[in-house]
Amino acid sequence: MNLAATPLSWNACLSALRLDRWMMGELGAADTETVGTHVSSCAACSAALAGIRGVREEVRALPLPAALGRPSPRRRVPGAAVAGVGLALAASLVLVLRVPHPVQRSKGSGVGLAMYVQHGDEVRRAAPGETVSPGDAVRFAVSTPVPAYVAVLSLDPAGKASVYFPQATRAAPVPAGSEVPLPLGTRLDATTGQERLLVLFCPSAVELEPIRQALARGQDGAPLPADCQGLRWSFVKR
Amino acid sequence: MILDTPAIASLYRSHGHVVLRRARTLLGSEADAREVLQEIFTALVRNPDAVRSAGSVVGWLYQATTHHCLNQLRKARTGARVLELHVRPGMAESGGPRGEAAAEVRRLLALLPEDVAAAVVYRHLDGMTHAEVADLLGCSRRQVGYLLERAQGLWDRAEQTA
Repeated sequence: MNLAATPLSWNACLSALRLDRWMMGELGAADTETVGTHVSSCAACSAALAGIRGVREEVRALPLPAALGRPSPRRRVPGAAVAGVGLALAASLVLVLRVPHPVQRSKGSGVGLAMYVQHGDEVRRAAPGETVSPGDAVRFAVSTPVPAYVAVLSLDPAGKASVYFPQATRAAPVPAGSEVPLPLGTRLDATTGQERLLVLFCPSAVELEPIRQALARGQDGAPLPADCQGLRWSFVKR
Repeated sequence: MILDTPAIASLYRSHGHVVLRRARTLLGSEADAREVLQEIFTALVRNPDAVRSAGSVVGWLYQATTHHCLNQLRKARTGARVLELHVRPGMAESGGPRGEAAAEVRRLLALLPEDVAAAVVYRHLDGMTHAEVADLLGCSRRQVGYLLERAQGLWDRAEQTA
């Protein structure tokens, strides 16, 4: 029997490790984008990823081992308006900040993004490229080694660009820290397809409208304002 | 990083699938795979430093799962339980030629030295590149090539004598 062709052999072109690390936000920004692009156009890898996600849902439904005690009630929040989601997600952050979790990081810069999704009563941490539903509430947390001016912009599947954070014309100041929750959440509209995010970390309060307009023109790869760092993230609404 | 019991419970929820999926493949038994899932996270409560010092949580879980499962396959081989393992109801590949071939792979994995078996698992069951395997095993890519060549040789020999 050839070791490469047993009934247990892996069939996707990207390794299981790479897909798992991608899903858990362990890859750098460039790798994350490369894997995301590949998965979206590769049936074998897409099927492998669906299998991984299926098992993840199974584990979430399993009771915790006795040694780990009962699940924290903070993982679940009641159905709430977006304003309420902010508080609930902040509560879940208290729990998750203690361990490494899926965070999109820009290699070498120390900046990062984490995204939380509330679907019904369940709050979960989303991995890059994850599928979410219209009506889900999302909230972001950013990591930055130094105080920065931050903005989160979005290009939805219909090509509409908008600013998720802040609700202002310029990037807002965020203190240095690991996974600092941004104070505003948003509820996803009914447009389905892939939504792309651009997260800016800047040394000054840059004007956001020119960047939003560049996104709207499909220029999400356009140069960033001087001295700004950008993180890109995407999710699929279905 | 504080890795107390609630944090490990959170880690179980977020990363447990990394263990369960691979344990199912390696062991072919849902009950044994769940046992490995519980054992790995329960052991973390006793020794949180194990994962705290790891560069990658996912990578650490791959190593821990592989180690646990290969141990289990070896233990199964040494006792009558091997028969139960191979015919236990509910196995993903419990029937047909494909199921028999999967059971044969597990039997042969149990015969290999741990580093050779781990290289086979990472390379062929997880589809890793030689660089990824080398990273998890903490050796060079050349060493990975050597381990895989050795595995194929041992594998061929075991099949001939079976």
